Amino acid sequence: MSSHREAPEISKDPVADSTDVYAFVSPDKPGSVTLIANYIPLQSPAGGPNFYEFGDDVLYEIHVDNNGDGRADVSFQFRFRTTVRNPETFLYNTGPIQSLNSPNWNRRQTYDVTMVSGFTGRAIGTGLACPPCNIGPLSTPDYGALAAQAVHQLGGGITVFAGQRAEGFYVDLGAIFDLGDLRPFEQLHATFGLPALKAAPGVNATNNVNVHSIAIQVPVSALTRSGHPSIGVWTTASRQRVRLWDADNGENVDSGPFRQVSRLGNPLVNEVLIPLGHKDQWNSLQPSDDKRFERYVTHPGLAALLPSLYPGVFPNLAALVAAGKPRADLEAILLTGIPAGIIPGFTNFTGPVLADMLRLNTSVPPTPSAKQSIFGLLGGDAAGFPNGRRVTDDVVAIELRALAGVTYPLIDKTFKPDAAAGKLTDGLTPASVHAPYLGHFPYLGVPYSGYNEPS
Amino acid sequence: MSNQDAKHVPEGTPERRLSRRSLLQGAATAGAAGLAATAIGASAGPALAATSRPPAADQSHDTAGTHAGPIVVHVRDARSGDIEVFSGTSQTRVRDKDLAARISRAIG
Repeated sequence: MSSHREAPEISKDPVADSTDVYAFVSPDKPGSVTLIANYIPLQSPAGGPNFYEFGDDVLYEIHVDNNGDGRADVSFQFRFRTTVRNPETFLYNTGPIQSLNSPNWNRRQTYDVTMVSGFTGRAIGTGLACPPCNIGPLSTPDYGALAAQAVHQLGGGITVFAGQRAEGFYVDLGAIFDLGDLRPFEQLHATFGLPALKAAPGVNATNNVNVHSIAIQVPVSALTRSGHPSIGVWTTASRQRVRLWDADNGENVDSGPFRQVSRLGNPLVNEVLIPLGHKDQWNSLQPSDDKRFERYVTHPGLAALLPSLYPGVFPNLAALVAAGKPRADLEAILLTGIPAGIIPGFTNFTGPVLADMLRLNTSVPPTPSAKQSIFGLLGGDAAGFPNGRRVTDDVVAIELRALAGVTYPLIDKTFKPDAAAGKLTDGLTPASVHAPYLGHFPYLGVPYSGYNEPS
Repeated sequence: MSNQDAKHVPEGTPERRLSRRSLLQGAATAGAAGLAATAIGASAGPALAATSRPPAADQSHDTAGTHAGPIVVHVRDARSGDIEVFSGTSQTRVRDKDLAARISRAIG
């Protein structure tokens, strides 16, 4: 949800709306990288009888740049196809679904995967089955085992899964979009002259909802160039240029070449940094075009708002903003990667091209789960965001803290971050997510069932 | 929705260079994208045949290279005759004042 409903146009098109991207060295298979792109935000698990599914009319892609130019060198393309076994029933399923070829499953999806390297495209998977949505104990009685059947080995060490998953991103949307309220600190909020608030625990607005995930695990060697372990990752969704409603047949028909309608690399960039009037355009462009948005990263509006929203809490940040100095720290984190020599022993720099990509230095080994910090690099854990992004990383807190000035000393050692900057949080942790994450591919939890949620 | 029509992109810009990649995008989607829409009738044939298609780099193609099924025509500007034509995963752009005028008359 780090990019759910983030722009006016894509908010009307949830099937093509990317919500989160993850990229990390697989903890249980260190020679590989796992890439995950989530779509279709805020799914109510009980949303039948036409349960959520990928768009047959959408071209989904996960891209990897391995030479630092902000353009895709390796892409994985996913096209879905829906079939209905019996069009004479209104039911999604006519009995328990206990296997992916169950005759009780009436409306199902399959997909094809194409790997594009340079200018060569190669089909690496065809007719791959998605799992059904998680409906309930009568329809999908052993959902975990059923969904596991939809993990496909494609050869060449590539593994893929596409289907419903529990939302793993945790964020207090309700408070944050209420004029930048952070519940644990709301006693400090300006409240615009309204009565003062009391500090409260965070509320995970994305709990108990599902998303649709496209997850692919690929050998590191298939994504990187020799001697250049850092890659940039992003996802896009594209639609054909023309759509007409065919009233005679009661369906849409599409024509023309595909054009990009959704993009996501780093979490929260389009959602929080890019102004409303530019968000739709941002979604239509490539990372290599992001120089035109540089000023929104180097002079972020939210950094200027924090001292106003929390009077007296961020005096040093206020002074930094007033000085008008560009935030080269944010530019490095989000647009170029962090050059060598800034953080001892670490870099994920991909070059000087300003491009919003989720950068992952694939030579950094996974951190054992007991030693991980949900604050990633800010917490001294080089295997976490902004070096890639794991499913449990607290990207909200990391980016809030960075915006508040915690990372500015990386480029100006005389700057002293405000005491509150390093404590910013919306009050949530991975424990705020009810569905447990998996310790193996595809890592995001079993989706919530419609029978159990809402409860 | 994107407005990155390759036709509008100046030479040497990133979008134009990437249009080569869009050829592959079309290849990956051929078959799944065999949908089409409104037919404009026989009058389009001679008019389109008389126009020259833009260079390959300005287009996305389906791998079949055919135009089976109906064709969608978008008259962007009837006065100048600026017309976009869509079929499968392809598009082309023509300038034909006479065709634009005939389409305009046809819809009253």
